[in-house]
Amino acid sequence: MPNMRKQQKRLLAKGGLLLALTAGAAFAGLPALWMLSTSFKANGEVFQLPPRLITPGFSFDAYTQILTDPTKLRYFLNSYIVALSVTALTLGAAILAAYAFSRYEFRLKSTVNIVIVGVQAVPPIALVIPYFGLMVGLGVYNTYAGLILTHMVFTLPYAIIMMTAYFNTLPRELDEAAKVDGANPWTALWRIIVPISGPGIVAVGLYTFMISWNEYLFALTLMQTNEMRTVPIGILLMMGEHAYQWNQMMAMSILGSIPVLVLFLIFQRHFISGLASGAVKS
Amino acid sequence: MMSKDARTMRGARRLLSATATVAAVALAAAGCTGTSGGSSSASGSAGGQVTLQLGQWWEAELPAGSFAGLISQFEAQNPNIKVTLLTSPFATFSQQMVTNAAAGTLPDVVGLSGAWVSDFAKQGAIADLSSLMAADKYDTSQLASQVQISGKTYMIPVVNFVYPLFVNKDLLTKAGVSTVPTTRTEFTAAATAISKLGGNVEGWGLPLDTAVPNAIANDVMSWVWASGGSMLTSSGEPDVTNAQVKSGVEFVKSLYDAKVISPGTLTMKEQDKVEQFTTGQVGMVIDTLAHVTLVRKNNPNLNFTVAPIPAQDGYTGKRGIPYASWGVGISNKSPHKAEALKLVEYLMSANVNAQLSTLAKGFPGNKTAVPDFSKSDPLFKTAFDIYQSGYPANEFVGLPKAEQLERTFEEQLQQTLTGSQSVDQMLTNTQTAWKAIF
Amino acid sequence: MKVTPNDPGSAAQLNPTLTRPISGSRGILPPRIARKLPPYAFIAPTVILIVVLMIVPILMVITYSVMDNVVVQPSSQFAGLHNYVQVLTDPDFQAALRNTLVFIVASTAIHLVIGLTFAILLNTPMLGAATKAFFRVIYILPWLFTVAVIAVLWRLLLSPYGVANYLLTSLGLVRSGVDWLASPTTALGAVVVINIWAGYPFFMISLLAGLQAVPSELYEAAKVDGASALQRFWNITLPQLRPIIVSMAVLDLIWTSQQFALIWMTTGGGPLNVTEVLSTFTYKQAFSNYEFSTASASAVIVLFLSMILGYFYVRQQRAQD
Repeated sequence: MPNMRKQQKRLLAKGGLLLALTAGAAFAGLPALWMLSTSFKANGEVFQLPPRLITPGFSFDAYTQILTDPTKLRYFLNSYIVALSVTALTLGAAILAAYAFSRYEFRLKSTVNIVIVGVQAVPPIALVIPYFGLMVGLGVYNTYAGLILTHMVFTLPYAIIMMTAYFNTLPRELDEAAKVDGANPWTALWRIIVPISGPGIVAVGLYTFMISWNEYLFALTLMQTNEMRTVPIGILLMMGEHAYQWNQMMAMSILGSIPVLVLFLIFQRHFISGLASGAVKS
Repeated sequence: MMSKDARTMRGARRLLSATATVAAVALAAAGCTGTSGGSSSASGSAGGQVTLQLGQWWEAELPAGSFAGLISQFEAQNPNIKVTLLTSPFATFSQQMVTNAAAGTLPDVVGLSGAWVSDFAKQGAIADLSSLMAADKYDTSQLASQVQISGKTYMIPVVNFVYPLFVNKDLLTKAGVSTVPTTRTEFTAAATAISKLGGNVEGWGLPLDTAVPNAIANDVMSWVWASGGSMLTSSGEPDVTNAQVKSGVEFVKSLYDAKVISPGTLTMKEQDKVEQFTTGQVGMVIDTLAHVTLVRKNNPNLNFTVAPIPAQDGYTGKRGIPYASWGVGISNKSPHKAEALKLVEYLMSANVNAQLSTLAKGFPGNKTAVPDFSKSDPLFKTAFDIYQSGYPANEFVGLPKAEQLERTFEEQLQQTLTGSQSVDQMLTNTQTAWKAIF
Repeated sequence: MKVTPNDPGSAAQLNPTLTRPISGSRGILPPRIARKLPPYAFIAPTVILIVVLMIVPILMVITYSVMDNVVVQPSSQFAGLHNYVQVLTDPDFQAALRNTLVFIVASTAIHLVIGLTFAILLNTPMLGAATKAFFRVIYILPWLFTVAVIAVLWRLLLSPYGVANYLLTSLGLVRSGVDWLASPTTALGAVVVINIWAGYPFFMISLLAGLQAVPSELYEAAKVDGASALQRFWNITLPQLRPIIVSMAVLDLIWTSQQFALIWMTTGGGPLNVTEVLSTFTYKQAFSNYEFSTASASAVIVLFLSMILGYFYVRQQRAQD
């Protein structure tokens, strides 16, 4: 008898859990679902009452228009180039800096630490004009390099924080031993530490990629011609002076979210375990 | 059999080297790609060949490829000039132009809206077109209007979009109103009747979003101008406490209090207003003529017409009709002002201007150009007649910090509408604030 | 996560290039400097980048803030602290400050609550890995989209005749459609809800990671001692997660205070300034009033306030090390 009661309790708990999960999923997923549904509607149907998921004008037109337009495809290429470069370079710089923070004590450590955390606090909107002048002055206006460097500035702080926390979980004995045997710090880092930092690298890489991919303020400010624009700005261009092209906007947003979604699907376990090691000690 | 860690390590290493390769390629390509499209200096020239930049938001609003086609014709007529089209989203265009002006990288020929002219001119960002046109012996009498500061022209309206009253005739009939309202009293009656139809249908739409406050010009002050009123003194100083402005604001408040305005007013954007009219949720809106095509496309069955904005009862004079323009100016820092002027003159030439107006569904900035109404909606002819019989009225054009003026007025209006202050208080506050800006 | 590397000594044995010294009798630099050099060399790329691309613009903004007539006029002049006084006494700024505080505190608090709740749900041993993975993917969806689209999408959803009102009235939760974004009473709340939707995934994932790192022995020991689920949560889970929660909270407060596009594109700071936050205030000063001096002053004030938060963050980090 008590066994059955326990089983009932378990089933009830499980049921309640699934219910809670579904409610949460509704909160998380319905807006995204609405985005998907709008991408298939004809523009006039977007505001119809009562609202419907599937409308009579259902079509893939928005998607075909985007996928056959070389200008719009170029936006995707630009986003890939920028985001991948930012990811690689940020990872490189973050790994180096995190090794210093994790393994060394040095005089400027606190100051640099505070500065790195503090610069995240700068309101981007205020930086737009001086930044713009700086980029023009450096000759990187409307180039990949300009936007890549800009994105790096915004992704590095947290990347360093995450990477440092992750390195802190790797026992110092590992690289200490290598140094005792005469290895220099550079090789200790790249030959010993990095090869076992898979999850940390995945976590930082994925996070950086997402930030860069979706960034819109500086992508708008620092890229002038259509050949250089990224996906978020491509979407913004569809918000015309007088009317929005709703279906194309939503379609482009969906298409734009696919790379990040795929990356997350592939790497999610490593992503989470990378955060886990970092999280406990951070 | 590899351990999980080893596999992750291998995967991460591969990811690292792949992205590093891309990064290297990108940085190498960064140099080339940047300079070919449009680099930091405004334009280039090599052995007589001049490249001009034309910055605007129009291309996205015109039929695909049409604007580029017109520009190619210009390049064909002027073999030593190449034009790079820089199209930006309208919502952020003014912000981008301010940023560009600050860094001295404004495009040679730059699209302008009347609200920005005064401040750009004061900044020294845009060039004095009067002297340029005089030097080129350009016949300015063909221009329908020029936007001037201190007697010098800084912007030429290329295409004008008038804002008549859009009326849903089916809703009117259903509400038992037989004629399109021509006076304020008739308008109130019609709006009330339509709102009484119930089912989420309201009489009037008023988009008072403060991010883009141009409703003050188009949807509020227009009532004043339609009755021949003005918000400025004859010398161009602010005068919002006069009887006509007060009467206009009181009229809007009366409509708000009567609850005949569509909900969501205080943060509604212009696009929402249009959508609501298109779906038949709102019976009457003041809107740009350019939307006729949009409305027809999204709701072919909508039976609507355009009409002059109703005036005060008993007013028989000419009615001001609000308008917004696609204007054009020349960057003060452009090294190719003469060629830039050629492009401006091209856009203003009778033939091209007529084509552009027809494509954009607006009215030409060149007096002698006649848009081709034959293949378009009969409502354009109706609107053109309204345009001819009234006068274009947008007193915000050319005012300093025009957007801020509109926003201040709008914020005060919102307080009055929601009942926290009287109309008199609102107008006094606005007058004080405006005087400080002028 | 446990790390089980191979014998570290063997790495050096296998590869002689690992043993090239950087200091010592055959090295290039004197030993004392060479010992101190590595950390500085490692942080050099980051420091250079941040100095050039962050410190320089910040200095420019600070310079603008103590001058008049910057950027838009050719003749700028030193103005001392007058811009700061002007900004701090501006009632719009004060309103923006209040709204920002409400916005960031509410957002952060609810981010944590929702993030923790979802993380606990996703960490449950009672469901299979596949189910959990499925829900995990759905829960991170908001993270995939750019801010501009999120703003526009939610405007659609929350419009008076939109889906949200339709669902709420059909379910009988409200009597008639509410003007979520346009009514002065609900606008700030609505904007907070949108920001919560857009930002909780990051918390959820970090907390989920944290949950997975809690040693299960602690829970088992507690169960043996007869602790209930609630007691286990309160006495084990929360204390273990405390470092993460505090870090995330401080970072989120900083990040949320910079949120601009979301508010600008949904309510523009209105109606009646109820959603005006420091970032929209700064934007209007700069790009509508063309008053870059006061805009810069406002930005520096925000920077200063955030630096205070940043300082607490670093102090808390070091307390844990």
